[in-house]
Amino acid sequence: MDANEEDKIIQDITRQEYKEGFVTDVRQEFIPKGLDEDIVRMISALKEEPGWLLEFRLDAFRKWQKMKMPQWGHLDMPKIDFQDIIYYAAPKKNEDRPKEIDPKLEETFEKLGIPVREREALAGVVAVDAVFDSVSVATTFRAALAEKGIIFCSFSEAVKEHPDLVRKYLATVVPSGDNFFAALNSAVFSDGSFCYIPKGVKCPMDLSSYFRINAKGTGQFERTLIVADEGSSVSYMEGCTAPMRDENQLHAAVVEIVVEKDADVRYSTVQNWYPGDAQGRGGILNLVTKRGICKGAGSHLSWTQVETGSAITWKYPSTILKGDNSSSEFYSVAVTNNFQQADTGTKMIHTGKNTRSRIVSKGISAGRSQNSYRGLVMMGSGADGARNHSQCDSLLIGSACGAHTFPDIRSNNPTAIVEHEATTSKISEEQLFYCNQRGLSPEDAVGLIVNGYAHEVLSRLPMEFAVEATKLLQVSLEGSVG
Amino acid sequence: MASNSSEKDHGNYVPTPVGAGVGVRDGESLKEVFVVGEDHIPECFVAGKDSSLDITVIVLPGCKAGIPLKFELTGEGASVRLSGIFLCKDDDGVSFDITMHHRAPRCKSNQVFNGIAAGRSQCSFSGRIIVAPGASLTEAYQENHNILLGDLARVGTKPRLEIYNDDVKCSHGATVGKLSEEEQFYMRSRGIPEEETKVLQMISFVAPVLSGCDDPVLAGRVEAAIREMA
Repeated sequence: MDANEEDKIIQDITRQEYKEGFVTDVRQEFIPKGLDEDIVRMISALKEEPGWLLEFRLDAFRKWQKMKMPQWGHLDMPKIDFQDIIYYAAPKKNEDRPKEIDPKLEETFEKLGIPVREREALAGVVAVDAVFDSVSVATTFRAALAEKGIIFCSFSEAVKEHPDLVRKYLATVVPSGDNFFAALNSAVFSDGSFCYIPKGVKCPMDLSSYFRINAKGTGQFERTLIVADEGSSVSYMEGCTAPMRDENQLHAAVVEIVVEKDADVRYSTVQNWYPGDAQGRGGILNLVTKRGICKGAGSHLSWTQVETGSAITWKYPSTILKGDNSSSEFYSVAVTNNFQQADTGTKMIHTGKNTRSRIVSKGISAGRSQNSYRGLVMMGSGADGARNHSQCDSLLIGSACGAHTFPDIRSNNPTAIVEHEATTSKISEEQLFYCNQRGLSPEDAVGLIVNGYAHEVLSRLPMEFAVEATKLLQVSLEGSVG
Repeated sequence: MASNSSEKDHGNYVPTPVGAGVGVRDGESLKEVFVVGEDHIPECFVAGKDSSLDITVIVLPGCKAGIPLKFELTGEGASVRLSGIFLCKDDDGVSFDITMHHRAPRCKSNQVFNGIAAGRSQCSFSGRIIVAPGASLTEAYQENHNILLGDLARVGTKPRLEIYNDDVKCSHGATVGKLSEEEQFYMRSRGIPEEETKVLQMISFVAPVLSGCDDPVLAGRVEAAIREMA
């Protein structure tokens, strides 16, 4: 590929449009801008929460007030004015028809291709919890799941209907004062999903939650809590989009996963928040805390993420491997383009004996973006015979982008083995030449190579998601990916 | 909330001034072996056009030291080979802080650091490779391997890659592990005593670094130190 052609392809990339960028005009209710104890109380009151949850929120809020925004990320973060955000926005319910979903809202989800209603059962056997701005609007397949004793509902419903379970597990993996954004989330979280799989139950379908930020000037703070009891298994998927706006919008979520003895959880994310325009204006600030604990012996937790959106991504899905013989994996593809910045990776904290973890991270940077992998592998003194293998590859497309790798390996146990390898390179001329020679256009060739490069991760995604993710990868790198 | 302005520099590359240090002039070469605690080690080396540097750093037991080392590759085509051994026991503590800054095109750097931590020693390795936006056709490699011998020994390693140029080949690798029992079994089944198998394993572990050092006296001291640790 000569220099001109390369330039043309890079220009094409920057001209792409964000197809989820529409705004839905539904009647919404807001609370006033800003954040203080009264706002926290107001959110709690609006959601008719019990006293213990209000206390939890206030405690988190007080912790948050004493904290400073973390600066260690390899990110150029715009200043966030936390008093200029609306912390709660909900589609207004029509009192006469409380069971129905606003047709406009349904249209939105229709556009996004999300099966909100049961009739979509034919389209794919997936149970969906859709969160629109701050509240969960619909959860499908409740009845089918309830038969097996599985609880899958919005977080607010869970607080009302299963308070003991929520109280038992809430903030056990991510304490309210864990970090700046987790504390903020704990104080103002509006809704999210709750999922409980009872002992020995294999969830018969993939569970999925879908998040969308719609209203202007709002932030989204959802909370997901997944509990897999002894011997159970579940596959959970999460997707997200937002409209195009010139300003940055904040998304600070918390995901907690508890995996008991011999249970198996697969958590997949396809993150496609609005990334900002080609000049770097606007976009979602995606500042998320995700953590799971392999609590019991032989438990297993697998993270798979495809990150294509957001102006800034700050996200480290982590696993604490506490149970003996437990295992965890982290598979990630992060694509950045234009002015996007991503600082993402994982933490594997081994404390149990013979625990295993594997990290595969693939970064692709194009345009003028910055893409960093940041990871921690920690072998505690009790982690006898533990093992980790990490592989982080970065691919650079265009000369103005950056790719960075910041692993941190700490071993306190002489019987533990940690291996880490990382490479950074561009698409090799030989590979391109090979494809061109066989009649593929340069664009198709780049597409083929990028897809092959990410294949190891994409193949880990559940079927429906894999299709979406492959498409997203193509949209994100449109022009260079055929 | 503040919006991003289009002029904003998202590059994140901070063009720090070139540090002052031992200059290796255009086309010249420098080969040195430093023993920490005995030799004075310059904190910064500046490599000129087509220059070549071969630096070896050796840490013998009984050492508590922080070792900052910076390499500024300012001349086109400069090449640096940097290697190190650290042998730590008892209450030793060693922390390497290495920066390899590629500022010019066609430079090459290759780093190998192998360390053994026994007793209650604490070893940390932090190695940064920075490739500046103009430094195309860079080749930069880094390896850090560690062996933990004691329950109370601690090893931390932070290899870092910061790449601001697409025409590069860069990699790093880091491992932390133990002496392989299978290798020991192989040797013992051939009549080599257990203690000796460990010594052989450790010598072979540091050999890639030691091979670049022509001083037989120093090599003898490294071997003696390893025998003491086994």
